[in-house]
Amino acid sequence: MTAVDTTDAAVPTTPSSAPRRAARPDGAPRRRGSAFDRVLPYLLLAPAVVAILWLIGWPVLSVLVTSFRRLNLRELTRGQVVWTGFDNYAQILGDPGFWTIALRTVVFTALVVAASVVAGLLIALLMRQVNPVVRIALQVAMLLAWAMPLVAATTVYQWIFDQQYGILNKTLVKVGFDGFAGFSWFSTGTSTLGVIGLLIVWQAVPFLAFSLYAGVIGIPKDQYEAAGMDGASAWQTFRAVTWPELRPLMTMVTFLSLLWDFKVFAQIWAMRKGGPDGGSTTLPVYQYLEGISQSHFGVAAAVSVVMVLLLALLTFQYLRRLVGSQEGAL
Amino acid sequence: MAKKVAANAVALVVALFFAFPTYWMVTSALKPRVDMLTSGYDLVPFSVTGANFATAWNKAGFLDSLANSLLVTLSAVLAALVVGLLAAVALSRMRFRGRKGFVMVMLVAQMAPFEALLIPIFLMMRDLDLLDRLPVLTLVYFAVTLPFCAWTLRGFVNGIPLELEEAAMVDGCGRWGAFRRVTLPLLGPGLVATSVFAFVTAWNEFLYALSLVNDQAKQTLPVWLSSFQSQFGTDWGGAMAASALFTLPVLVFFLIVQRKMVTGVTAGAVKG
Repeated sequence: MTAVDTTDAAVPTTPSSAPRRAARPDGAPRRRGSAFDRVLPYLLLAPAVVAILWLIGWPVLSVLVTSFRRLNLRELTRGQVVWTGFDNYAQILGDPGFWTIALRTVVFTALVVAASVVAGLLIALLMRQVNPVVRIALQVAMLLAWAMPLVAATTVYQWIFDQQYGILNKTLVKVGFDGFAGFSWFSTGTSTLGVIGLLIVWQAVPFLAFSLYAGVIGIPKDQYEAAGMDGASAWQTFRAVTWPELRPLMTMVTFLSLLWDFKVFAQIWAMRKGGPDGGSTTLPVYQYLEGISQSHFGVAAAVSVVMVLLLALLTFQYLRRLVGSQEGAL
Repeated sequence: MAKKVAANAVALVVALFFAFPTYWMVTSALKPRVDMLTSGYDLVPFSVTGANFATAWNKAGFLDSLANSLLVTLSAVLAALVVGLLAAVALSRMRFRGRKGFVMVMLVAQMAPFEALLIPIFLMMRDLDLLDRLPVLTLVYFAVTLPFCAWTLRGFVNGIPLELEEAAMVDGCGRWGAFRRVTLPLLGPGLVATSVFAFVTAWNEFLYALSLVNDQAKQTLPVWLSSFQSQFGTDWGGAMAASALFTLPVLVFFLIVQRKMVTGVTAGAVKG
């Protein structure tokens, strides 16, 4: 609490003592504001800016700096500062195990993002076609999936996929696949990641589908009528009308999904702690293992930096456009 | 016509896919232990019991971690809302030197890769002697949600016409009075939508809760639930009941503000 209290204390007690004169808040210099009016915006911004610089800005710099140090428990307890240049990077990049994990993370992210964005789009389009009652049923069902906390959902999936008593194996046996009696879904890294991927898609799709549906119903009706009069097929209508209208939204949700899915940790750790035998370990899990479990803080910081660089690489195009458009819109 | 029927059928199958885990969580939680561990096929529970809920509720650590989660989450969200609203009002209602720069700071801070800041934040909190103490999580969750809150609230404040405040001031309100009586009530829905998103983020958070707090008495619910299974591997009924209790508050919030969620998140994430 202490630190929050500190920032709160820096908040100007909300300007109940504000001057009675109605200075125009948009600052149009019709009447010159008092000194208080001029500092007021800075006072209002101060707590947020202090918090952001302290808790985000400083760690960002610090992770870069730490990645060039040897910082294990020994150095930490002795307060030693040992600069090692690019040694940490050389160590992780020279480790074939790291490349396996990095590649696995990128492939896993790409598959999960592609699956959830496509599923989200299909469901959004589907929602326009169905009866209102069916639509509401679908929306409520998605809301249920969306609302379940990550670790609760992970627990439920583990129960569904349980080797012995899981409903999935029971069902598969019941419909005739006897081989699934006692089948373990968590015996290899790939199938473990498959279950985790399904879980992530299941949780991600509701937001994507709702957002894209909002976009779909925003497309003017007359465009469809015009396409209908021209005798366009369903696919042609999609290509000519729906897709151009949805594309900005699609780019945005893809970008958000990349950000979210690349750094997934809770589901992977709670499912099998990156196992079996590290088979479902991804970069965030690797970072946690190196940094927190083994106290190799320098190496873990280097992993973090590589993670951010990889993510930046994946989202580069979109980031560039986003920053460009924001500069105009500020 | 056949197409329409097919679309409805597909939609219902998809709905089943999304609803099933919730259904299975609730019915499993209600099943007596013996029914869960037979190889019988029981999509519908044969008999119903509250025993699993009692087990979960009384299990060591559940109430503590529930209280910890509520305390940490609510205090972080409250702090982020207050600090974020002040910043939002400044950025939306006032013109001053460096405004664009501050807007940029909020935008960029939102994209901060928090998962990648684990090591420096861990070291910083260790130096501050905050490890293993709940305020450390409040502080982190406050920082995680603050840029989003400030940004989203700025959008909501932008949406309220300044003329309304000006009219109140003409009628004799001070600037603060006009803000409190006119803008603040209109901001209500925006505040609720923003706080729900912040609440869910903090309520779900796992990496920092796992890393910064070791003391079992100070665990949050996600960490407690994840260790629940490894300790009591076979008690799926208890685990399902605990999961259901964990889900309930979020579900209630979601049902209340479902529509606002999408606008809130999308607005906060991208739009200016």
